[in-house]
Order: sequence, then structure tokens, then C-alpha cells
Amino acid sequence: MGSPFDINGGACVAMVGKDCVAIACDLRLGMQALTISNNFPKIFNFAPSTYLGLTGLATDVNTVSDLFRYKVNMYRLREERHISPQTLANLVSSSLYEKRFGPFFVSPVLAGINQTTGKPFICGFDSIGCIDFAKDFIVSGTASDQLFGTCEGLWEPDLGAEDLFETISQALLSAVDRDALSGWGAQVYIIEKDKVTQRLLKGRQD
Amino acid sequence: MDKIVAQYSRPSYQNVYSEQDQQDLTESLPPLSLKFALPPVANPSAFLRAMTDDHSNPSCPIKLAHGTTTLAFRFQGGIIVCTDSRATAGNWIASQTVKKVIPVSRLSRGEDKPTNEPTPGLLGTMAGGAADCQYWLRYLSQQCTLHEIRHKRRITVAAASKILANLTYSYKGYGLSMGTMLAGVTPQEGPALYYIDSDGTRLPGNLFCVGSGQTFAYGVLDANYRYDLTEQEALALGRRAILAAMHRDAYSGGFINLYHVKEEGWVHHGFDDMNPIFWKTKLESGEFSNVTSEL
Amino acid sequence: MADRYSFSLTTFSPSGKLVQIEYALNAVNQGVTALGIKATNGIVLATEKKSSSPLIDPPSLSKISLITPDIGMVYAGMGPDYRVLVDKARKVSHTGYKRIYNEYPPTRILVQDVARVVQEATQSGGVRPYGVSLLVAGWDEGVEPEAADMKKDGGDSPAKPAGKTGGILKGGPSLYQVDPSGSYYPWKATAIGKHATSAKTFLEKRYTEGLELEDAIHIALLTLKETIEGEMNGDTIEIGIVGPPADHLLGYEGVEGAQGPRFRKLTKEQIEDYLTNL
Repeated sequence: MGSPFDINGGACVAMVGKDCVAIACDLRLGMQALTISNNFPKIFNFAPSTYLGLTGLATDVNTVSDLFRYKVNMYRLREERHISPQTLANLVSSSLYEKRFGPFFVSPVLAGINQTTGKPFICGFDSIGCIDFAKDFIVSGTASDQLFGTCEGLWEPDLGAEDLFETISQALLSAVDRDALSGWGAQVYIIEKDKVTQRLLKGRQD
Repeated sequence: MDKIVAQYSRPSYQNVYSEQDQQDLTESLPPLSLKFALPPVANPSAFLRAMTDDHSNPSCPIKLAHGTTTLAFRFQGGIIVCTDSRATAGNWIASQTVKKVIPVSRLSRGEDKPTNEPTPGLLGTMAGGAADCQYWLRYLSQQCTLHEIRHKRRITVAAASKILANLTYSYKGYGLSMGTMLAGVTPQEGPALYYIDSDGTRLPGNLFCVGSGQTFAYGVLDANYRYDLTEQEALALGRRAILAAMHRDAYSGGFINLYHVKEEGWVHHGFDDMNPIFWKTKLESGEFSNVTSEL
Repeated sequence: MADRYSFSLTTFSPSGKLVQIEYALNAVNQGVTALGIKATNGIVLATEKKSSSPLIDPPSLSKISLITPDIGMVYAGMGPDYRVLVDKARKVSHTGYKRIYNEYPPTRILVQDVARVVQEATQSGGVRPYGVSLLVAGWDEGVEPEAADMKKDGGDSPAKPAGKTGGILKGGPSLYQVDPSGSYYPWKATAIGKHATSAKTFLEKRYTEGLELEDAIHIALLTLKETIEGEMNGDTIEIGIVGPPADHLLGYEGVEGAQGPRFRKLTKEQIEDYLTNL
């Protein structure tokens, strides 16, 4: 059997725009070559305008999203405030490193807007919590090599919300069309200061 | 004693072509052991298996493209041959436009220009190692052409398939990877379909699916196959079976390549992107209800 | 052996009281008075440093402690218990917060964590309650956008960070008292220890809304003066303040985004300056 990261397949990407961020994922859930489901979103909401994408082993995607739902809910109850993207990034990092010697097989991607400063924020992680603070885009999943290519080619600074949507959608769809293990439709979130737009993309069904 | 043997085993005079040579040149196939450089190790067969066989050794250094769905079935109107067009190297989709149906025996084809008229000859399909399939089907094509020249009639599918099977058997263990179907209609046999693979297997049959998506294609085909299908029904069934396999199998996809082989030769019925066909099938007949088209 | 004493020593009396906690409060009420006053732009913590002997070297005594760069603490009651709590508060602010979120806990969270430690001592086997009350003073950055506040302000009074009255959401100063029972209370101004009652009466008279840190320090010294038993000077008074970021205490400069601690203790000289102006 191959790497646990490649069993179920999946791709996720986040991008920064002007006063907005975007995060998108594919919808495939597979077992090696066999496609099990075309409706397996990998992006989860943890606060208004804060989203976490999880690619990798599907069972760990579920477990980790549940774990962070618990942790973030506890944070909100205890502190009577929403968690900021930066704080969530550090929570994700420390929680993943806790499993240093038996990691979750996930590669998280975080995107959000800090409600205090109004600034966009994205970052990515490896499976044991090393944070990759990027100013442009973050990719993860089985199509990450392809996503690096499409993002390097399509992304430019200070894109508005609509242009950012087009860019991230094209980047994701083009990337997954060159990956056997991801695709089968996609979901995109465009996050602005006080507005989040969710869109479903029809992708190739092969 | 040695002297006596030497005396009788070599002709006393130097004839350019011996009786045996002449026979070899005109009658028999060239020897198969041939001009391929083998790895300079004690046991090349075991070495090649270790390097290339990715069933027993997933981290083998020589990766071969394996993902495919191909199918062929016999019916009253001839034979339907249908394939996907995806080539993968690991999870990387190397191409979406591979031609996995290979015409065999070019001599009888006459014109090289595309035509709607049936083209005489056999069809071979490609699954497994792309290079192995292409090379050896071309080799087969050459043998079939020679056969046609020598015998002044087209080779039977049985004979052609046997040439290929003997070939793959002679290389058994050397890491060849191919699962191929040969389809043709000859006066001697009628519609004939054979499955040949790199293990040396050669099977005649009514219906075969080969490749990583074979099970999905079998599922559709077995449910809807009848020998007395009309031509239109048979073409639609072949297309639908490949479509199902492309949808569910990660290593199959791209374009649907559809052929019909009949008495006069084979006819190409399109190389069409699966995606519009998929959505048309879904929306018009309500199949693939597992796919969500709305948020 | 340990098993035999692993029952809780704090048990209910028939009338429903936990007398051990009341005894702990008695210990607090015999302790040296400490007080805290919250201003709009900071907090002051003040207490008397009492030496039982003139031979004690005063600078080595320290009753006000830094817990995080923006949070400080003072006590009334038993010194050794206090030092244990300071250690635990510093530790929990890291293990329970900074190591998880890479930022220091807001004041209320730190107070809750310390209060939990104190409460656990009232319910665990083989231990006694802590014989201290604490005053915890801290500044929170707040999460609500500042731009909204500025608009309401009209932007013509830059001296007062308007709206920042403390708490996690708005940010600003907050002052808490933690008792041996584990209960905690937020205060504008309060006192604990021997003369807490009279000090609080004094504070009620002097406290006004919109107080600034300098006024608060002044009031703190006046309150202390009412209750102090010995002489008042830089050696006998201890003052900690939560004020503007003290970048000079950072130990380095030129790092973008680095902010000095808001909590700091006043030096002997600084206290004496305040005392001469009293």
C-alpha cells in the first residue's frame, strides 16, 4: 500500500487577495483507484471568516476536523470570543505536534480574515504542525505539485474577490484534471471582511 | 569423432542460402530471442521482475503506466471495441488523449487517409505498459502483413493472436506488461475476439474488459449484454460501460474511443470527451444520481 | 500511609460551611493590606512591605510579581502560599495557554486558571486551602476592531483609549480578586488584608470614573497611608503598575512588532518621587 496521504486522494488550495482570501477543495473520496464519493468536502468553518482545509487520509480528516471543532468550541465558550485565524494557526500547530511520533496523516490549509485588524491571513501546515506562513498561496493534497504550477502561473497580487474566485477556481480545476486521485467537483469559499460566498464547481467526472 | 561431426554438420561448400535458411526466410517467423539488450546479470529474468513488477514490489524503480479501461465484445453485427484515453504514471495523469486502439495489419488498409468506409484489418487494444503494447502490436502488424504477402489472404484472428501469445510467452518473466484484445472478422472465423496478456494467456471469447477499470465495465456490460444487440445498441453499450469505468476508476478517463469491427473491416465511431457525455447521460436518463450538480 | 490522609481536610460543617476556608480567610485578614485600582489607561497594585526585623535586607523582599508581560499579582495572607501560586500561575500561563496558542492568556483566563488551582486545594485529599487572597491586574489587547471605537470618539481625544474598560473583547485593564475558596471577582478598586474594610471605604470615597493611571497611583498611596503602620518610603512600599508598553524593558530594540511588558514594578526612586508629590 502506498503512502497514507495518497490513499483517499484530495486537493486543497488557499489564496490571498485584496482584503479577501479564498480557499477551495475538491470533492473526491476514494480508496486507491476506486472513487467512493463525489461529495466529500474538505473545508471546515471554525469562526466567522476562518476556514480550515484538510487533505490526506480521510479518517484523519474527519477526526482532526472534529477535534478542532471541539477545541475551538471550548475556546469560544471559555473566552467568549471567536478564535482569530492566527490563534487557530498556533492551535493547529501545537495540536499536530502533540502527535509528533504518531501523526495524523493530514496537511491542513488555513484561510481567514482577522476581524480585529481586517487583514487576510493564510497558512499551511505539514502533518506534525510546522507552519508555512505564505503571503500568496498555500496548496496541499495529492495534486499539490500540479497546484504549485497552476498557482504560480495564475496568481497575482491584490486580486479582488471576483477575480480571486476565477483564479482559485481555474488553479484548482486545472490541477485536479492532471491528478488521478482528486477532482470530481470542487467547493470554493471567498472570504471578505463581513461576507463569505460559497460556490460549487462542476468538475470533470473522470 | 569430433572430426566426423564437423564434417557432416557443415556443408563442404559455402552456399549463401542453405535449404534451412531459405525455409526460414520464406516460411517461419524470425527468431524471437533477439536483439534486446538484457541486463548483464546472472539471472536477467529475476532481475527484471524485481525492477519492474509493481504488484510484488510497489516501489520498483521502473514504473509502467497501468491504469486503463478497455473492452471488446462480440455481437450479431460484429465486434465493438471501446477504450478510455488516459495514461497515468503513479497518480500523475500523463495524457488524456492516448489512442489505445491500434489497427493491426496495415497492408489491407490501402489508403492512409481517414475515411468513413470500413478499413480492412484487425484491431488490437492497449492496456498495461504503453511501450510494450505499441511495440509488439506493431511487430504483430508486421507479421500479419508478411502473412498476407506470403499467403495472399488475410491472417485469421486465431493465428494473429497466437503469434502475439507465443511472443509474450517467450518473454515471460522479463517484465513485459500488456493486456490486449485482438478483434477481427474473417471469412474463416466470422467475428473473432481473443484476449492475450503478458503472462502468455490467450483466450477466445465473446466479451472481455481489461485494465484497472475492468470491473466497472464488466458491471455495465454483464447487466446489459445480449448477443442479438442491434448495432446502435451495441455502440451505446460499449460507450456506457467505458463511461462508468472512467467515472469510478481514478486511472481511467479522458476520451471515449469507440470502434465497430465488421465483415468489411473496422469503422471508427468517435473519440469523444467523456465529460459532456457524462452530464448528458446524467441529466437525460437520470443515471449517475450519486453525482451532485447543485450545492 | 499517604492513603490514610488522602481524604479532603476541607469538609462541610453541619451548618453547611467549610470552616477550613473560613480559617484561610482569617489568615488573609491578618495579612498585610494590599490594594488595586483600575484606571482608564492602566492599573496600580500597591502594598506595604513589612519587615519583622530591621536587620532584614528590604530589596530582597518582593510581594508584587509579574505573571505574564501584561499581568501582575499581589497578595494578602501567607507569603509561602503566595509564592507557590505565583509559580503555578506562571507555569499554567504557558502550559495551558502560550504553548498552545503562542500568545499569553487574557487576564480573565489567567485568573480562572489560578482560581481553579486554589479551588482544587479546597476539594482535594490531603491538602489545605491556600491562605492567600490575590489581586490580579492585567491588560488585554481586545479583539474588537479599534477603528469602530475611533469613529465614535470623534478622534479629538487621543489621550484616552475610549471604550477600553477591560475584558477580552474590548480590551483594556482589568483587576480581579481571587479568594481561598477559589472564587474571583472583578473590581474597579479594592483592597485585601488586615485593613481591607477601611481601605475599601476610603477607595469608595476617592474613586471616580475616568480615572487615569497617575491619579490612581496617587490614590493608592493615599489609601495606603491611611492604613500603614510604619514609615512610608521607597523601601516599605511596593507598587506595581499595568500601563503603556515599557519597551525599554524589552532588553533589545529594532525588532518590528515587539512590544515591551505593560506590567512593571516601580523602583524605589520612582516610589519616593510619588511620595514627595503626595
